[in-house]
Amino acid sequence: MGIIKPDIKFKRELGRLSGSQLNQCMQCGNCSAVCSLAPAERPFPGKEMVWSGWGLKEKLIGNVDIWLCHQCGDCSSYCPRDVKPADVISAIRHQTYLHYARPRFLGKLVSSPAWLPVAIAIPVVVIMAILSLAGTFKIPEGPVDYSAFFPHGLLNSTFSAITLFFYLLASFGIVRFWKDMKRLTPPGEAGMKKFPIARVLGEILSHSNFSGCGSQQLRKIAHMSLFFGFGLLILVTLYAIWATITHNYPLPFTNPFKIAGNVASLMIYSGLGIMVFQRLMNRSVFGKSSYSDWLLLAAIGLLTLSGTLVELARFGNWSVAYHLYFFHLVAVWFVIMYLPFTKMGHIFYRTTALLYARSIGRK
Amino acid sequence: MVLIERLNYLGGNVSRFNNYFPKLCPPACGLEINYSRIRSNPRISYHTGASVESICGSDGDFRVKISVEPRLINNNCTSCGLCAEVCPEERPQKLGRKAGEKAAYINNGLAFPMKYCIDPLVCKREACGKCLEVCDYDAIQLNASPAEVELQVGKIIVATGWILYDAARIENYRYQEEPDVVTNLEFERMLAACTREKTKLTRPSDGKTPRRIAFVQCAGSRDVNHLPYCSAVCCSTSLKHALTLESEYPDIHAEIFYIDMRLSGRNEKLLKQAEGKERIALTKGKVGRIVQGEGEANLVLEVEDISKGFRREDAFDMVVLAMGLTPNHVAAGLKVNKYGFYLPEQRAGIIPAASCKRPMDVSSAVKDATACALKAMQR
Repeated sequence: MGIIKPDIKFKRELGRLSGSQLNQCMQCGNCSAVCSLAPAERPFPGKEMVWSGWGLKEKLIGNVDIWLCHQCGDCSSYCPRDVKPADVISAIRHQTYLHYARPRFLGKLVSSPAWLPVAIAIPVVVIMAILSLAGTFKIPEGPVDYSAFFPHGLLNSTFSAITLFFYLLASFGIVRFWKDMKRLTPPGEAGMKKFPIARVLGEILSHSNFSGCGSQQLRKIAHMSLFFGFGLLILVTLYAIWATITHNYPLPFTNPFKIAGNVASLMIYSGLGIMVFQRLMNRSVFGKSSYSDWLLLAAIGLLTLSGTLVELARFGNWSVAYHLYFFHLVAVWFVIMYLPFTKMGHIFYRTTALLYARSIGRK
Repeated sequence: MVLIERLNYLGGNVSRFNNYFPKLCPPACGLEINYSRIRSNPRISYHTGASVESICGSDGDFRVKISVEPRLINNNCTSCGLCAEVCPEERPQKLGRKAGEKAAYINNGLAFPMKYCIDPLVCKREACGKCLEVCDYDAIQLNASPAEVELQVGKIIVATGWILYDAARIENYRYQEEPDVVTNLEFERMLAACTREKTKLTRPSDGKTPRRIAFVQCAGSRDVNHLPYCSAVCCSTSLKHALTLESEYPDIHAEIFYIDMRLSGRNEKLLKQAEGKERIALTKGKVGRIVQGEGEANLVLEVEDISKGFRREDAFDMVVLAMGLTPNHVAAGLKVNKYGFYLPEQRAGIIPAASCKRPMDVSSAVKDATACALKAMQR
């Protein structure tokens, strides 16, 4: 038994983010019972609900179990007190991004609507500054050629550098996260296995944890389309960077990589479509979708849409081509550079948590 | 005093119980004395199979129209049972109902009035007529039609009682799919049948003796998806069942899964009795799901054992759902609270009594009914 340090502010914040009346929880354990992903020993989300009710921030940030949850919503729909454990767990995950975010203000920036203008202004100003320094900050004459507006070499180097810088900062947070997990959920007597990378990779690629959740086929399909669409686009982008260095860019419409890019955006559209539809139609299961959730969906949607338009503008020689291109770059910043601070951060945090969980044999 | 009873016998649910708390007496204890009081008191009369058609007038001068379904066997009946012996039609099987019960039947166990009646839904009437041939007392009247009776009364006491919440609505407990998932009322009647017929307790699906029986508390109660309120008696009921199993059925292990043990007054003794008994386990944790398992013990409960911090998937032979209680809504036009129970205050002269006002156990219901009777006698 230790000393309990309730953090009332943290508790209120969880309540606000999740829309849950945390005090209504009667600790019946139904949520842990219906959860098809809960481990037998110290199952979730029952204990997390108790800790949330007490505002025990130090037990919740760095908690490994909240990352084993894939938010199917069974616990919320069967909750006898309507305290929405799924949404509370999701809110704790959000608090985790904020807690480990460095620089800290970037986390705040993307998690509150009041700061949205600033979050948009940063990439706008930075991109304008780069273009002004390069001396290309004007609409070029003649047929649409984006490299005349933002030279490829400059684009690739600056954007890559900024991204790597942000991810480097994030990696410090990940290291702290790992240490916290180790402190809160120490390995058992069996100790730690070597990094079960192949296993975790298999879980992630197959989305097997999604099928663990009851009757969530559509969610699995939606996440899979986004996941593989996104993965494909990253491959295409890497190829494009290489292409700008080694041979002629832009690619013609018939290039396999171009086709792959378009297929990927179609996958993202369909995945996003399902996600938005489910959130709107099925509020009892998906609960109160938070600002950060909608912001992420909007950012991915606008990123993909502006990407498609930029491509069409090039082939169609539209006069607004460069405006669209500028907009697209801001959207790229929102999704890629801000990744560790938004809900997209789950790519890092969940993978790390899964690695830790499986290495100590927790499943 | 006129009793208007919807069923064919007085005594309601209690008359079909195995035993009742706090002293785990059989229902005869308590009911018999009341039956004899009714029999010997000329100022008390009753109608069975009766329902209220209309009420007019006001406090002190009500006119109540009731319609009385015929029992098809009149008061000449001496309950010799010959009619049932020759009757070729059987009533459909139901948990706790005597197997092969005939269309001419008498209420199991405690029957008051002690007379046979005929199930009109099963009887073939004149097409068969076998009972007419054997009855020596001219008691059988297969053509009897419903009677209209008009009563003039000063006060009306409404004691329509309770019914169980519909177990099929809790789909994660698979009541409809699994024959061995039964409600606590069905289980009570099964126990009563075992006591009456001196048989072993067997489970409905395959007639085998269950080894492990789980009691699932708050099945429907304390749940915003079903009944938000606590049904007050189910914890005591499950403890009673577990104690009955403990003393009468030495091969059976009982485990009660509860959120909180809520026992009122003297019923707390039941918990003291159950604690420490080898074949009774009390586990804190609400059962999340009942799923189908392999083998003989094929009902797998998914539940977190909260005090141990362990999630169990444990197989049982039989599951008893401690169902929530709801008001039995047969009296229309009364004022109700947000859960449908009758409010104590109605228009002058109408007095709701006992468990149609809130869930309560037998002894509380008797006390409340006594109070209501006193209230009705006052001017």
